[in-house]
Amino acid sequence: MEEKKVFLVDDDLIFRTAATVLIKQIFPGYQISHFENGLEVYEKLIDLSENQGQLPDLMFLDINMPVMNGWELLEELKSAPAIIRDQVQVHILTSSIAPEDMNLSKTYNFIDGYVTKPLTQQDLHRVAEYAQ
Amino acid sequence: MKTKTSSKYSLKQSAIPTLVVDKDIQIWECSDALSHFFEQPTEFTFNDLCDIFGEVSIEFKHKLGKKKYFTETVQLISKTGQERWIKVNAYPIFDKEGFFQLSFDDVTEERIQYSLGQKAKELAKVGSWSVDLINNTIFWSDMTKKIHGVPLDFVPDLEKGIDFYKEGDDRARIIEAVSECIESGKSFDVELIIITATGKEKWIRSIGAAERVNGKTVGFKGVFQDIDEKKRSRLEYETISNRLRVGIESANVGVWDYDIVNNELFWDDKMYDLYGVDKNDFNGVYEAWERSVHPDDKELAATEVELAIQGKKEFNTEFRVIKNDGSIEYIHAEAKVFNDKNGVAYRLIGANTNVTRMKRKDERLRQLLNITEKQNQRLLEFTKIVSHNLRSNSSNISMLSGMLNQDLPIEDQKKFIQMIQTSSEQLDEIIVQLNEIAKIQATDKSEIIEIPIRATINKVLESLNGLILESDAKIKIAIDEKLRVKGIKPYLTSVFINLLTNSLKYRDLDKRLELEINSKVLKNQTVISFKDNGIGIDLKKHRSKLFGMYKTFHNHKDSKGIGLFITKNHMEAMDGKIEAESTVGKGTTFNLYFKN
Repeated sequence: MEEKKVFLVDDDLIFRTAATVLIKQIFPGYQISHFENGLEVYEKLIDLSENQGQLPDLMFLDINMPVMNGWELLEELKSAPAIIRDQVQVHILTSSIAPEDMNLSKTYNFIDGYVTKPLTQQDLHRVAEYAQ
Repeated sequence: MKTKTSSKYSLKQSAIPTLVVDKDIQIWECSDALSHFFEQPTEFTFNDLCDIFGEVSIEFKHKLGKKKYFTETVQLISKTGQERWIKVNAYPIFDKEGFFQLSFDDVTEERIQYSLGQKAKELAKVGSWSVDLINNTIFWSDMTKKIHGVPLDFVPDLEKGIDFYKEGDDRARIIEAVSECIESGKSFDVELIIITATGKEKWIRSIGAAERVNGKTVGFKGVFQDIDEKKRSRLEYETISNRLRVGIESANVGVWDYDIVNNELFWDDKMYDLYGVDKNDFNGVYEAWERSVHPDDKELAATEVELAIQGKKEFNTEFRVIKNDGSIEYIHAEAKVFNDKNGVAYRLIGANTNVTRMKRKDERLRQLLNITEKQNQRLLEFTKIVSHNLRSNSSNISMLSGMLNQDLPIEDQKKFIQMIQTSSEQLDEIIVQLNEIAKIQATDKSEIIEIPIRATINKVLESLNGLILESDAKIKIAIDEKLRVKGIKPYLTSVFINLLTNSLKYRDLDKRLELEINSKVLKNQTVISFKDNGIGIDLKKHRSKLFGMYKTFHNHKDSKGIGLFITKNHMEAMDGKIEAESTVGKGTTFNLYFKN
């Protein structure tokens, strides 16, 4: 059986480092990959879908990022191969507590959750429960 | 008619309508001209005067009996039913006792004219008067008496006549006019106020001319007219006109009158002033006005006039005019269209006002509103971003501190403590930036002074010397040492630092960085431009966000997305603006605009 994968998309190095420690605790054995912006992860996802590569099981996606932000990535994914939207569980992971951002996330039917920073073990437990 | 042989007076050949009658009004002889005069077909066939004048002839018979010359004017109705007035002159024939020679004259025209004249005098309330200085008598016609409000049997004298004039200026003027008329024979024509017998003030016109005999005035006569109604309306009109004129002049309004049919345009003096046109250069036709209108507004203004003439729209518009000195002014124009009985416009009367000052204020207000709206938008964005960045760092600190409570290897703990410190420093930096932006918003405009550009750039270049050397940049500055712009010194320095460090940061590593700083002095503003040959920005994608906060367009490690945001705010605080031109792979130019 293939190793499960998590994509962590965030431009903040400190957050990525700390969050990785927490994710490893809740999702032991998962392979965690880091991306600094939407474009990096988009290219990776397209590459994987086109070359029958293993798509991630989970993706934590920040909103405010340079180059391509979270919303711009989600828009791109709408027209990307359906397999990405079907197989990858996407959880927004952001410091934004603005209701408009929360409401906007609900307009994407392939989004599975909205987690606000700071990320806690409890948050990740909920994500894990949802994943099962 | 009696036999004509009884008289030696043969009138037959006379061209004057004449006849001879006896005291019993029997006709004895007549001229050939008589039949035509009395509309007889061929020969004169009347036997006595009754045949001609009917009952009036009895009166003639009575007068003939007195055997004296007399004249009488008699009314007849012609065969065509027209009124006809005949003047009859009757002379007794001296050697023929009891016989009269009657000649006739048609005075219809004179009579009608006289009668019309009388009617006109009555309507125009014109009376007559005369003064006989020899016999010291004075005559007033009935109308003159009526105007004075006295009964028709009133007997005037010169003193009484003058006393009717209103005491003061009016009386003094009539005395002066009459005295001059007596002394030097000078005629007069005055408009004065009298107080009528009923105590009513009345405007009259008195015209008088002297009658002179041997260089001496023996009397004078003239006409006397009641002009009260006319004069009062004229005075009222003058008062209203004066009021209007004062109003129009103080309101800076120019009035024009366009005769559509003859294509003639009249301007009052103010119009020439408004359009800055010399009166002699204006030939009063519509095209002369059109020539003054700004080319960009010409079509609109002409269309508005056309629509007003067609009755489709009220004429109420605004356009610019170019004055003779080349200056541009804004004109507000309103007009009323006058139509003939068929509804066709024949005249357009309008008023123009100069609304340039108001317009400029309006423009300035709109600009300020625009800037304020944009600033508000940026502040909103700023709040959102600051809140996001503050939360990002504080949540990192919170997350990392929570993890320190876990049983982690000492190496990891050290790493997390280091991260907490970094996050704290970032928080501090955000707060510093926040403070800086808040400071710009509270700028006092009185701090704006004239700053030498070249010296300021030199100082900035000195402070960036290390970075410039490291990048091996080639910098060309084409700015006059004396050039100054209006600005706030620390802001100007900050703007220059930001633009120069951006050029250094985003240089194309495959070529040597070339930087050009130029200036251009325009009529109302000075432009300083910073041009580089760096990696450029994709403006198609990013133009709207270029000067936004925390917007970065490159994956550069030092790209914080605050520099251009602060630069734009600094420029606006100095009443200036910043614009960018850029091509990816070729470079970027930032133009800074300062008001002169």
